[in-house]
Amino acid sequence: MHTDLAIPSQPKQSLIHSRYGFMAVIGVLFIITLLSAGAAVSFGQVDIPVSQSYRILLHHITGIQIGDMQELTNGSFVDIIWKIRFPRVLMAMFIGAGLTLCGTIMQAAVQNPLADPYILGISSGASLGATFAILIGFGSMGLLGQSGVAFWAFAGAVGASLLVLTLASAGGKMTSVKLVLAGMVINALCTAFANFIVYFANNAEGIKTVTFWTMGSLAASSWDKLPLISVTVLLAVILFLSQFRVLNAMLLGDEAAVTLGIHLGAYRRVYMILTALITGVMVASCGMIGFVGLIIPHLVRGLVGSDHRRLLPASILFGAIFLIWTDVIARTIVPNVELPIGIITALIGAPMFMYMLIRKGYAFGGKS
Amino acid sequence: MNLNVERLSVSFGEAKIVQEVSLRVQNKQFVGLIGPNGCGKSTLLKSIYKVIKPRHGEVFLSELNVIKASPKLVARKLGVVGQFNELSFDFTVREMVAMGRTPHKGMLENDSQQDADIVSAALRKVNLEGHTGRSYNSLSGGEKQRVILARVLAQQPEFMILDEPTNHLDIKYQLQILNIVRKLDIGILAALHDLTLAAEYCDYLYVMKEGRVAASGVPEDILTKELIREVFDVECETYRNPVTGALGIAYLETK
Repeated sequence: MHTDLAIPSQPKQSLIHSRYGFMAVIGVLFIITLLSAGAAVSFGQVDIPVSQSYRILLHHITGIQIGDMQELTNGSFVDIIWKIRFPRVLMAMFIGAGLTLCGTIMQAAVQNPLADPYILGISSGASLGATFAILIGFGSMGLLGQSGVAFWAFAGAVGASLLVLTLASAGGKMTSVKLVLAGMVINALCTAFANFIVYFANNAEGIKTVTFWTMGSLAASSWDKLPLISVTVLLAVILFLSQFRVLNAMLLGDEAAVTLGIHLGAYRRVYMILTALITGVMVASCGMIGFVGLIIPHLVRGLVGSDHRRLLPASILFGAIFLIWTDVIARTIVPNVELPIGIITALIGAPMFMYMLIRKGYAFGGKS
Repeated sequence: MNLNVERLSVSFGEAKIVQEVSLRVQNKQFVGLIGPNGCGKSTLLKSIYKVIKPRHGEVFLSELNVIKASPKLVARKLGVVGQFNELSFDFTVREMVAMGRTPHKGMLENDSQQDADIVSAALRKVNLEGHTGRSYNSLSGGEKQRVILARVLAQQPEFMILDEPTNHLDIKYQLQILNIVRKLDIGILAALHDLTLAAEYCDYLYVMKEGRVAASGVPEDILTKELIREVFDVECETYRNPVTGALGIAYLETK
């Protein structure tokens, strides 16, 4: 043993790589998240002054009254903010955090910075499930129809990803290449089935619903949908924050991980099944919102590095802020029209991704 | 710590890669493992450090049953310097080395000041203390290998396996790595390519051919031209190096 080696050190570190720099980043991101959640409720078809929004939220959450509450609570603003927009903003916050979390985990699990939860075939599986529910299943049966779509989307997502995982580990060890290829195969298969259903369904309204659903939207958010999403995402965050050592070891590869005392096989399987379940829950309630899980971890790696003990908290907050504001754009950019949020995230995400690929010296999290 | 390998066999399907190999490293010796490509020495080492599951046989690190024990328990005692590889993700040099503390830490336990000191000391030992903030992927091969060595040092192992750590490195870095390791005062088992380096650094050598131990002994005794011809299929003459006094090998033209 070499305990005699201990001599104090003065390593040269950049701002963000120092402990205090990182805590400052987390603090700032946290405050921005809270402020964003408050400010975002002001925007929409009807613009509400930000100061009034904050007063309404503050009153509802803590009971504190600032100024003339009588005048404030009489208007329709209260209902718009508290019943419609605030649950939606919270939904955006949790979904953004959850998608980013799943993306980060997936990238570590397959050791590929280009992975996101959708490569497991989740998107196509969920589409197939939703298409089935909308066009064939319980689509016309009111309440059952609504929960039916969510259930079938979830079942499709989880079913497809389990199929991908099984296929990828057929014939021995699961590798990231096999995983990506299996994802492609299952994607193609599910898309074919979904297209088959769409082609033979004589249901224009249903097809429109399917299309809208595959582009992702937070428009259906409501207070009663929040508990499932928020609890799922919060539990996932707590669980994975405790796994930073395993996640870091994953980035080194299987052999190095074993020599550090971590056998990756079982962890990788469990992480992927968990991300598939979490993504399935999210996809079922808001459709497909692409690029968030891919792009946010990349950006944040550039800021705080690849060490998951920094990367996870920072990217979760970043993802929450990102989706809150993309949703604001989705509901305000075209007057009187609500755009699917998936269009916006792709429009922002794809060029950002191109830029990062082209930019010289981008090293997936390190500083060159 | 002493390493005892008892009649270890490894097969992939029908192919028997390692057959009934027994070896031991005692009294903090530096023991070398040599043999031509494909002789099974890397597979043997991998099954000792738990990457490959052997078909038969036992591995003991003093009292610890390596094959049955958990990877974490083994990683606290046994450090492995493999060949460096490119990472798809990047870490700073310090982050890389700090991961050496992984086996000593609980799941939610954060790194303490003591861990930070151990990491700094490891970095100093491989002469990288000025590069802690640099990105691992931007380093040269020699520097990367030193980072890996520092990570293993931060692990504070009581026994170390070197799995051809000096491949593809300039002679300067090969010597640097071997010199650092030799000074550690722990038992070492190292697969090496270069026979003269093996002769110079090792207290004892195991020679492998076709999955079996073909010979073993102190370097001067076993590195003869007959053995080198038989195991490596190369004609050579051995001599005493007039400058260093060490064993020299002059390779002659092959048929």
